[in-house]
Amino acid sequence: MELQQNLEKLHKRGLGVAAVSYDSVAVLKDFSGRKGITYPLLSDTDSKAIRAYGLLNESVAKNTAQYGIPYPGTFVLDKSGVVVEKYFEKDFRQRYTASEILTRRYGGVAGAPGQTIETRHLRLTSSASLGTVHWGERLALVADIELKPGMHVYAPEVRGYIPIQFTLTATPAFQAFPAGYPPARMLHLKAIGETVPVYQSSFRVAADITIAPEAQVKPLLSPEGDLTVEGSLRYQACDAKQCYLPQTVPLKWTFHYQALDRQRVPAELQRHPPGQ
Amino acid sequence: MARKRLLLAALAGVCVWGQAVPDSPGPAVGARVPGFDLADQTGQSRNLHSLFGPKGLMLVFFRSADW
Repeated sequence: MELQQNLEKLHKRGLGVAAVSYDSVAVLKDFSGRKGITYPLLSDTDSKAIRAYGLLNESVAKNTAQYGIPYPGTFVLDKSGVVVEKYFEKDFRQRYTASEILTRRYGGVAGAPGQTIETRHLRLTSSASLGTVHWGERLALVADIELKPGMHVYAPEVRGYIPIQFTLTATPAFQAFPAGYPPARMLHLKAIGETVPVYQSSFRVAADITIAPEAQVKPLLSPEGDLTVEGSLRYQACDAKQCYLPQTVPLKWTFHYQALDRQRVPAELQRHPPGQ
Repeated sequence: MARKRLLLAALAGVCVWGQAVPDSPGPAVGARVPGFDLADQTGQSRNLHSLFGPKGLMLVFFRSADW
C-alpha cells in the first residue's frame, strides 16, 4: 500500500497512522501479512466507528456483503483529536494518496524526482508526489521555480501583463484539478508608477491529477508500461530595467503505471451478505 | 484557500464522475472526532488515544482490504 511507503515520512512529521475498515481481524491479518503493513489496521466489523463518524455509505444495499463500508477518506487530527485537515473524494474509486497529502501539507516532494530546466530567467524543477501510479490515485504534479536575481514574474491575478500559467495537456488518462499558485507579493515599479502582484526568488506551483480507469490509461502507455503527462509553464519575466519576451517551458512527468492488485483473502475469510 | 481548492476539486469531481457522495462527509475541520475501541490486525484492542504520534494522527477510512 502506498501509505506504508510513506509511513516513515509521516512518523518523522510526528503523526501516528491508522486505517479503519469493516474487515474482520482475520482479513486484516492476512492482508497486512501479504502487503507488509506495519501500522495499525483497525477492524470495525459492525461499522460502529464508521457510523459514529457519519461515514457509513448509505447508497449500498443492506442485503449485500458491501453494506457497512465507509465513504473513504483521510483525517489529519491534532493531539487533542480535533480535525486539522480532511480529504474526501466525490467518487469512491478515487482516493487521495498519503504522498499527495504530504506534498500539500508539508511542501517537500515525496515521490519521483523530475527534470530541471534552466532558462535565461529562471531554473525550474518538476517533480511528482508518486513515481508509480494506479487507477484512482490522486497525486500532485509540482513545478518548483527559482528566479534569477532581480527577476520577477507576474501572478495570475495581474492585469495588463502576462501572468504565469501552469497548464497540463489533457488526455483521457487523468482528470486534472485547477493549478494552485502561492500568494503574490505586491511590487512597486518606480519607473512606471505601478504596483503589481508578482513572484520573486523561489516559489512553487502545483496541480493535482487523478488517474483514470484502466481502459482509458492502457492505450496511452509506452511499451514499458509508462504513463507520460505533459504540460507547460508560460511566463513573462522582467527585471528593474526591462521585460523579456514571454516564454513557454515544456514540462513532462513520467510514471510507472501498475494495474490494481485484485488478490483476495482466502475464501473462508471473505465477508458474506448478512444471513448467509 | 485549502477549502476553496477542495471545493473546486469537489465540483470538478461532480462534473466528470457524477457519483452521489455527500459533500465531505464526517466531522468537519475544527471539530473533535468521536473516540473508539477497535481491534487491530494482531487482535490487540486500540483506542483513539493510543494511536497518536507526538503531533497527531493521520486516520484513514478505507473501503475494504478485500474486494
